[in-house]
Amino acid sequence: MLRRFPDFLGDMSRRALVSPVTFSLFFAFALAGAIVAVTGGDPLAAGEEMVTGAVTGSGLRNTLGRAVPIVGMALAVSIAFRSGIINLGGEGQMVIGGLAGTMVAIYVPGPGYLIVPLAMLAGAVVGAVWGLLPAYGQTWLRLPILITSLLLNYVARAVTGYLVRFHLLDDAVTLTSTRQVPEAARMPKMPVFGGVSLSLILVMVLVALLWMVYTRSVAGYESQMTGFNMRSARYGGIDVEQRTVQVMVVAGAIGGLIGTHLIIGEALRFIDGELVLAGFAWTGLLVSLLAVNRPIPIFITGLFFSGLQIGGLAMQRNAGVSWRLSQVLQAVVIVAVACRLSVWRSERRRAEPSEADAAGVGEV
Amino acid sequence: MTFELELRGITKRYPGVLANDAVDLAVRPAEIHAIVGENGAGKTTLMSLLYGLFPPDEGEIFIRGERVEFSSALEAIAAGLGMVHQSFKLFPTLSVADNVVFRQEPRRRGLIDRAASVARVRELADRYGLAVDPEAVVEDLPVGVLQRVEILKALYRDANVLILDEPTAVLTPQERDKLFEVIRRLRDAGGTILFITHKLGEVMAISDRVTVLRNGRAVADLVTAETDPAEITLHMTGRAVDLDRRAPEHEPAQVVLKVDSLTVIGEHGRPAVADASFEVRSGEIVGIAGVAGNGQSELIEALCGLRETDGGAVSLVGMEITGADVAGRRSAGLAYIPEDRYAVGTIRQASVSENLLLGHHRNPSIQHRGWFDRQAVARLARRLVEVFDIKAGSVSGPVSTLSGGNLQKVVVAREMEQGTPLLIAEQPTRGLDIGAIEFVHGQLVRFRDQGGAVLMVSAELSEILALSTRILVMFEGRIVADLDPSKVAEPEIGLYMTGAHLEKAVA
Amino acid sequence: MFEQIFDAALFDSATRAMIPILLAALGGMICERAGVFQIALEGMMLAGAFAAVAGSYLAISWTLGVVFGIAAGMLISLALAYGTVTRRGDSIVLGIALNLLAMGLTGFLLPQLFDVRGVFQHPRIDGLDRIAIPVLSDIPWIGPVLFDNTLLTYVALLLVPILWVFLFRTPVGLRLRGVGERPLAAETLGVSPTVYKYGAVLASGALAGLAGAQLSLGNVVQFAENMSSGRGWVAVVAVMLGRAHPVGVLAAAALFALAEALGFRFQGNGLPVQITDALPFVVTLLALIIARKRFARLLDLTTAA
Repeated sequence: MLRRFPDFLGDMSRRALVSPVTFSLFFAFALAGAIVAVTGGDPLAAGEEMVTGAVTGSGLRNTLGRAVPIVGMALAVSIAFRSGIINLGGEGQMVIGGLAGTMVAIYVPGPGYLIVPLAMLAGAVVGAVWGLLPAYGQTWLRLPILITSLLLNYVARAVTGYLVRFHLLDDAVTLTSTRQVPEAARMPKMPVFGGVSLSLILVMVLVALLWMVYTRSVAGYESQMTGFNMRSARYGGIDVEQRTVQVMVVAGAIGGLIGTHLIIGEALRFIDGELVLAGFAWTGLLVSLLAVNRPIPIFITGLFFSGLQIGGLAMQRNAGVSWRLSQVLQAVVIVAVACRLSVWRSERRRAEPSEADAAGVGEV
Repeated sequence: MTFELELRGITKRYPGVLANDAVDLAVRPAEIHAIVGENGAGKTTLMSLLYGLFPPDEGEIFIRGERVEFSSALEAIAAGLGMVHQSFKLFPTLSVADNVVFRQEPRRRGLIDRAASVARVRELADRYGLAVDPEAVVEDLPVGVLQRVEILKALYRDANVLILDEPTAVLTPQERDKLFEVIRRLRDAGGTILFITHKLGEVMAISDRVTVLRNGRAVADLVTAETDPAEITLHMTGRAVDLDRRAPEHEPAQVVLKVDSLTVIGEHGRPAVADASFEVRSGEIVGIAGVAGNGQSELIEALCGLRETDGGAVSLVGMEITGADVAGRRSAGLAYIPEDRYAVGTIRQASVSENLLLGHHRNPSIQHRGWFDRQAVARLARRLVEVFDIKAGSVSGPVSTLSGGNLQKVVVAREMEQGTPLLIAEQPTRGLDIGAIEFVHGQLVRFRDQGGAVLMVSAELSEILALSTRILVMFEGRIVADLDPSKVAEPEIGLYMTGAHLEKAVA
Repeated sequence: MFEQIFDAALFDSATRAMIPILLAALGGMICERAGVFQIALEGMMLAGAFAAVAGSYLAISWTLGVVFGIAAGMLISLALAYGTVTRRGDSIVLGIALNLLAMGLTGFLLPQLFDVRGVFQHPRIDGLDRIAIPVLSDIPWIGPVLFDNTLLTYVALLLVPILWVFLFRTPVGLRLRGVGERPLAAETLGVSPTVYKYGAVLASGALAGLAGAQLSLGNVVQFAENMSSGRGWVAVVAVMLGRAHPVGVLAAAALFALAEALGFRFQGNGLPVQITDALPFVVTLLALIIARKRFARLLDLTTAA
C-alpha cells in the first residue's frame, strides 16, 4: 500500500478533524467560556490571560515544571490502564512515596549526588509497596483494584498526616509541616528556561523507556494483550496475576518518584494535605485517557494540560477568574471524549448479529 | 388457499454479502415447516427479518393474507409470531414465571399478581406437556428446560406461529424426542411451527414440508413425505458432501499425551471430569464425542492449564505437566485451538500479526531477552498469512475486520505452525462455511500425517466420525467409551453419549 | 468504657453520617439493578451539596435548596446517561471524569459566585429543619435518634421499604431488573433498555443530589470544598456489599456510618484526627475483605476488556 505523501497529509488532517479529541477540546473551551460569561467574567480576557500566562515570562518555566508531575503521574496510570488495571490509587502512591523520599532527604546526611538518588529510590520503593497492596488484594483476595486503590488514597492521607503532625513536625513554623529539605538534598535545577528541575529529564527518559517497552518488548506486548482481553491473555499463557503485581509495582514506584520530586524539587517541605490539593494524580489520569495511554502523546498532552493550569493561575491573578476553571476544562474534555462526541461523525450503528451470536455461543 | 405465513421476494444485503436473495416462503396453517440449509445459508437472517429485528431491503411479508411490516420484535409478537432463539433470551436470576409474564404481568392493585402468573404458567405448561416448575429460578435449570420456558413465553403471548431456531443443538436425544412431542401437540392444537435446522434427520423426523436455503436463496420447497435425505442434501450443497473417512497414512506411533485418572471439580462442587484416563499418540486424531456440557470444556481447560485439577496426572511427550501453568505447557509442546475464536482465540482490538503471536510470543526465534526481533516477527506473520491464505488487508491492521473463516485461519495457522507435537482442537469448525470447514479438516489431517497428535472435541458427530482415528465418548464427566470409528455406527455412539448404555448394564 | 462510647449521642451522629451514604447508595443500587456501573456518586453528591447551599442562600429557603441539589445531581447524571447509554462510552472513564468535573466546577464556582475560599457560611443559608414526629420522638433512647430528624432522613429511611416493593413487586421494577440482566432480551419483549437505564441513572442523580443536600444543609449548614470527601465511594462499596438489595445497602451504610461516628467519638477521646478520619475507609476495606466473595461481577467489569 503505497500512498503519496500529500494524500497522507490530507488523510492526517481529515482524521484530526473528525477525531472526537478535536471536537472535545473545542467543546470544552466553548463551555468553559460560557461558564465564565455566566458567572460574570470576560471569557475573552480570561482566555488571553490563560494563553499568555502559560508561555510568556516565567510561564514557560512553570509550565515545564508542572508538566513533570502531570506527565509522570500520567505515565504511571498509563502502565496500569494499558494492562486493563484500573488503578485509581496514584494519589496515595504519590503522597506516601513522597513522604518517604522527603524523610530520606531530611534525615540522611551525605552529599547531594548520593542523597538525591537515595531519596528518589526511597520514594519509589515505598510508592511501589503502596501499589502492591491493592495488587495483592486483587490477586489473592479478588478485591477489585478500582475500589481498594481509591480507598487507600484516604488511608495514605491519614497516615502521612499523622506522621507529619506527631513525628516529623517542624515546630518553627505554624504549618503542619516537616522541616525544610536541606540545600544539599534538593533536586538540582537546569540552567534552561530560567531553571527547570532536573526531574524533567527523568520524566523524558521515562517517556522514551516506556515507548520502547510498549512497542517492542514482550512485557509490553503481554500487558497490552491483557488489557485488551484477559481471557485471551490467559489462553496465550500470560500470567495475568503476575503481570498485575508487576504493573502495580512500577506504577506505584513512578508515583513515589513524582511525590519525592514534588517535595525535594519544588515545595521543599512536606505540608500535610498540600500534595493532594493540586490533584496531579487525577490530572495525570485524564492526560493518559486523552492520550490513549501512549507515552509520546502523553508527553504532549501533559504539557498542554500543564499550560492550562499555569495559564489558569495567571488568569486568576490578572482576570480574577479562579484557576479551577482549568480543572473544569480538563474534565469536560474527557467527558466529551468518553461520549465520543464529534459533529463530523456520520457512522451508523449497524444491525449486525453480535459476536456472541456469530460464534454460536448461548446467552444463558 | 390462504397461507398462515407468506414471504415474497425477501432480500437482505450486508456489506459484501447477499444474506437473503429474493426468498419466497409459504407456510400453511397447522403444519410443521422445516427450513434447512448449511451454516451461512441465510436461515437466521431470514428469521430475524420475519421477526422484525431488522427490516428487509426488499420483499413483503403476509400473515393470513394480510401484508405486515414489523419495525420491532414487539410488533411481530403482537401479530402472533413467537420465536425461540438459538441463544436463549432469558433472565437468569428471575423465576420461570417472571420470565414468561415479563412486560405482560398480571396485576393486582398495581403490583404483580404472583399467584396469578404462577397459575397461568402452570396451566399453559400442563396443556402442552411442557414440564416446568414456574417458581424455579432460571439459572438453576438445564438447557432443555430453558427451551421449554422460551416456548412458554411465546405461548403466553398467544403465538400462532412458533419459530424454533436450531432447537436441538443443545439437547440430548431424549430431550429432543420430548421437544418433538411438544411440537406435534402444538400442531395438532392448530399451531404452525417453523423449524430451522441443518440436520437432515430432524427434517425427516418432524416436518410436514421443507424449504431448502442455499447461499441466501430458497432453492426448493418440498413435501417431506415425498422426498428423501439425498435429494435435500443435493439442494443444500449443490454437490455431494465430502465427509468421507480419511484414514491415516501411518500407524499411530509413540504416546504424546498421557492422561491418568484426571479429576476436575466443577462449578457446583461436583466433579466435572471424573477419573479420566486416555492416551493420544503421534499420527492419530482422537475425537471426543459427547453432548455439550458433559465435561469436555473442563477437560480441555484442565489439559491446557486454564483450570485447576483435583487429582490425576498429565504428561506430554514423557514430561510431567500436571502442575504446569499455561506458558509451561505451551513451551512443553502444546498448541490449542479454543472453542470460542471471538472471545478467547483472538483479540479483537489487536492487529493480525499481534494475534498471530499470541501464546507463542516467547518463542526464542522471535524474541531475545524480552525484546522482540521485529523483523523476525514480521517474517513469521507474512509466512503464516501466505501459507494459510489468510485474507487480511494488512498484517498490522486490526483483526476485527476479518471474516469468521479468516479469523479461524489466524488461530489455526498460529497453533499449527509452531512445530508442537500435540494439537488440541476444540469445536474447530463451528460456525464456518463449507469451504472453511474443508480447509480446517484438511489442515488437521495434514498435521496428523506429519506425525502430530491431535485431540479434537466436536459436537458434530459427522465430523468426529470423518476425522477420528479413535473416538472417546464423554458422559457426565466420565469417559464411557473408547471406540474404533470404522467399527461403530452413529446410533451406538448416541447411546453412550446419553448414558443409555449404563441403564442397559443395570437392567 | 463501653457505655461511654455506645450512647445515644453516638447513634445520633451515626444516623447523621448514614443518611448521605444511604441516599447515594440507594441511587447506586438502582443503577446496578439496571446494569449501569455507577461510580459518579461522589461527584453528584458534591454537586448536590454545593447547589443546595447555593439555592438555599439565593432563596433563603431550604426547600429550594433541596430542589437545587436534586437538579444538580440529575444534571451530572444526565451527562453520564447520555455518555454511557446513548453514546455507549465507558462508564468507568465517564464516572471518573464527572467526579473530577464536579470537584473542579464546585471549586471554581465557590470563589466566583460567593467570593470565598474553602468554606462558605452565611446566615442567609437556610438549613434543613428537624421535624420531630409526635409520640415516636418521645420514645426514650431511639426516639430522639431516629424520630427527631430532617425530612431527608425520613425520606431516606422510607425509601428502603419503598424501593424494595418497587424492585421486587412492581411490573416496572421487574422490567428494570430484566434490563439490567439481559438488555437484549428485554428489548425483544418491548422493554426499552435505553429508557430504563436513563431512568435509573437520573434517579441515582436525584438521590445523590439529595445526599449532598443532607450533607450541606442537614449535617452542617455550609459548603466546604470537597465536602463529600469519599462518601460517594463508600456508597459504591455499600451497593456491592449490600448486593444491590435495599436492606443490604441499608446495613452496609449503617456499618460505615457507625465507623465514622466512632471516629468522631475517639477524636473526642484524644485520638488524632488523622487516624479517626481514616476509620470509615479502613472499615470499608475490612468489610470488602470479609465479604469478598460478592464482587465477582465488579471484578469482571473492571478487569475484562
